Parts: sequence; C-alpha cells; structure tokens
Amino acid sequence: MPEKPEHRVERIVSDLLRGRRLRLRAGDAEEKEAITAAARFASASQGPQRMSPAFRRRLAEILESTPRETWLTRRAALVAGLGVAAGALAGGLVGRSLEPGSGPALQAASSPVLPKNGRWTDVGALADFKEGAGKLVKAGAVGAFVFRRGESVSAVSSMCSHLPCELWWDAKPGLLDCPCHPVSFTPDGKPSSPSYTLPDLNEVKARVTDAGRVEVLGT
Amino acid sequence: MTGDPSRPDDPSTPNEHAGEVVELPSATRATDIALDELELVYAFIYARVGNRADAEDLTQQVAMKAIPRLRQGAPASAIRGYLFATARSVLGAFWSMRLGLSQAELHEDLVLAVQQGPTSDEPAERAQRILAGLSDNYRRVLELRFLHGYSLKEVAAEMRSTVGAVKVMQLRALRAAAKVDTDA
Repeated sequence: MPEKPEHRVERIVSDLLRGRRLRLRAGDAEEKEAITAAARFASASQGPQRMSPAFRRRLAEILESTPRETWLTRRAALVAGLGVAAGALAGGLVGRSLEPGSGPALQAASSPVLPKNGRWTDVGALADFKEGAGKLVKAGAVGAFVFRRGESVSAVSSMCSHLPCELWWDAKPGLLDCPCHPVSFTPDGKPSSPSYTLPDLNEVKARVTDAGRVEVLGT
Repeated sequence: MTGDPSRPDDPSTPNEHAGEVVELPSATRATDIALDELELVYAFIYARVGNRADAEDLTQQVAMKAIPRLRQGAPASAIRGYLFATARSVLGAFWSMRLGLSQAELHEDLVLAVQQGPTSDEPAERAQRILAGLSDNYRRVLELRFLHGYSLKEVAAEMRSTVGAVKVMQLRALRAAAKVDTDA
C-alpha cells in the first residue's frame, strides 16, 4: 500500500527536526513543495548557520591540496560556467565530468592517490579493522576506506568517482554508497551496477607494518 | 585514527610555482578569501536543505567546481556571483536527484526556491513572513512543530486534536507555506 502523503511528509519533517540528512523515497516528488518548505522551516528553526570548524578545515585542505594538473572537460566547464574549451585550463578538480562514462577525466579517476611529499600515516592497529568491513580513515587531507583481508589491507578513496561526495559504508550489502546519487562501489572500488558506467574509485596506498599497525599514504 | 594535520610543504612559499597560470602569490590568502565566501554559500544552501550533512556535501561540491576560478585570485566581490550561480546549479541537481525529477520539472515548480541569490532575508525572518501569510491553524501547527520543537503528540495536545489530524494539518500547512513563499 502506498505511503499516505501526510505520513510521507511527517517522516521527512521528523528527520529534519532531528538534524538528519534528507532521505527521500520514490514518490516523494508528489509532495516536493511541502518537502522544500519543510526544509526551509527546519533551517529557520536552527538559527543562522555557519560551517563547523572541522568542515572549514576540510574545505581548506581540499582547496590547498587539489591536484594542479587535471583535465577540464567541456561539459564540466560549461556546467561550472567557465565558458572555456575542454582542456584549455589546468588547475582544477572540476576535471571530473558530470557525464558518467565520458572523456579523459575518467581515465585519470582510477589512478592511485599519490600526494606530493606524501607521508605514511598510522590509522590504527590491524586488530581494529574488522575482516571485510570498510572503515573510514583520514590520512591528512586524504580520506579512504580501508578493508582488511586477513593480514593485509587495501584502501580506496572515500570520494565518489563521479560526484565529489564522501561515500559511506553500507554493511549489509557490503558496498560503498554515494549519498549524492544512486550509485555504489565494491570494496575494490568497482561500480556495483554494470548498467551505470562510472570510473573506479581512486586507489589509496595502504600497508601493514611489522608492528601490526595499518598505515595509509596521505599528506 | 587521524593523520598529522601539518602540511609537509608550505603552500604560501613565494614563487614556488612561478610561471604557472592563474596562481596567486599567496595560496593561503586565496584559501582564506575562498573560505569566507564559501561561508555565505553554506548558509545559503543550509537555508534550503535544512540539515548540516547535505549542506556540507553541497558546499563542498560548490568549492570543488569553483577551484579554478578561485585560483585566479579575483577579488571576493567578483567571485561571489560565480559561487552563488554554482550553488544554484548544485542545489538544482540535488533536488532533481533526490526527488527523481528532471531539472526542467524542478525549474517550473520550485523556481524561486532555487533562483534566489544571497539576500539579507535571514531564514528566520523569511519563515515569519511566510507564517504571517497563513491561516491561524496552519501557522500554529508550523510554529509549534518547527519553531518550538514540539512533537506531533505535543502539538495535538496543544491544539486539542489528534496526532492523525495534526499530521494532515501539517501537510496542508506546508503546502500552503510553499504557495505563500512562491507568491511572495
């Protein structure tokens, strides 16, 4: 039985009033006006908003550490309002095309994250990592999901290879989900749906030391 | 579990990247300017999505799309319009994705929700303005629920009604509020 509109909107209002992310389901579009109004009222109830110090630091890290040599596709340039031809500029992460499966940016997307002057960062004891479960770690400006396989580990970037959103680990299907669009990735960074062509996630270098500590190559 | 936040190389080192296109003399200063502008973008986005997690994700998207422009070292006033244009585009894509609608459908119905630029109209003032345009019952249910943080049960008790009836009234009040907002 379809969810009644008042229940549908109450579910969303309740989430908003608890400070939760907007989680919309199929059919919610029927109440789009009420939902956007609810989001505005929820914002009004919380007063003027400023970025948290942690988020501001994260943005600063992104702004300062973005690779300088990246492709800029024509579509991305147009969407971003730059009005320049593809490849005419170097110096931005805008290089990720907004069209899955197109352009040279996708070829670069699955390359390993190798920060200039990168350093190995201790992210915990191997014993802290559950077999097969993704664990989000930060190695300076590099965010990664680390997976333990026996006595070794592997890691992939925590950023979606399509939209620049941080993934989250969905334990039940064992996939990394993007909060910004309906795609997910396997622990080895491959898109889970063959019908939605996306580049692989960037590999992040990870290792286990002789002392049983997990290290990730970050900044 | 976290890495050393200190950076191995100082991005503000003069002439480190001399000869490259569109680089500021001081990357740190460029970052500070960009962050101050992104603070406004964050508030703009937050007022429309009503929660921190989505506001942070979308602000980050705006920042990443805008990095090439930010690096040109234009004054804050020159990049503000660009950032807000990008923010509107990102918000449009967000609602389109979450609601499963095309941008054209969104544009038609929610045009004002996405088209407004930065204004001095704070979210609370805007909410009060919208509430003033509603009938007494609709205004009351939204005030109690959103501005006073009442649960549905508490609203029902306050309004001498039932939870089911309050749910329906809340839905109708939000629909009416959206219409007042659009007509304003």
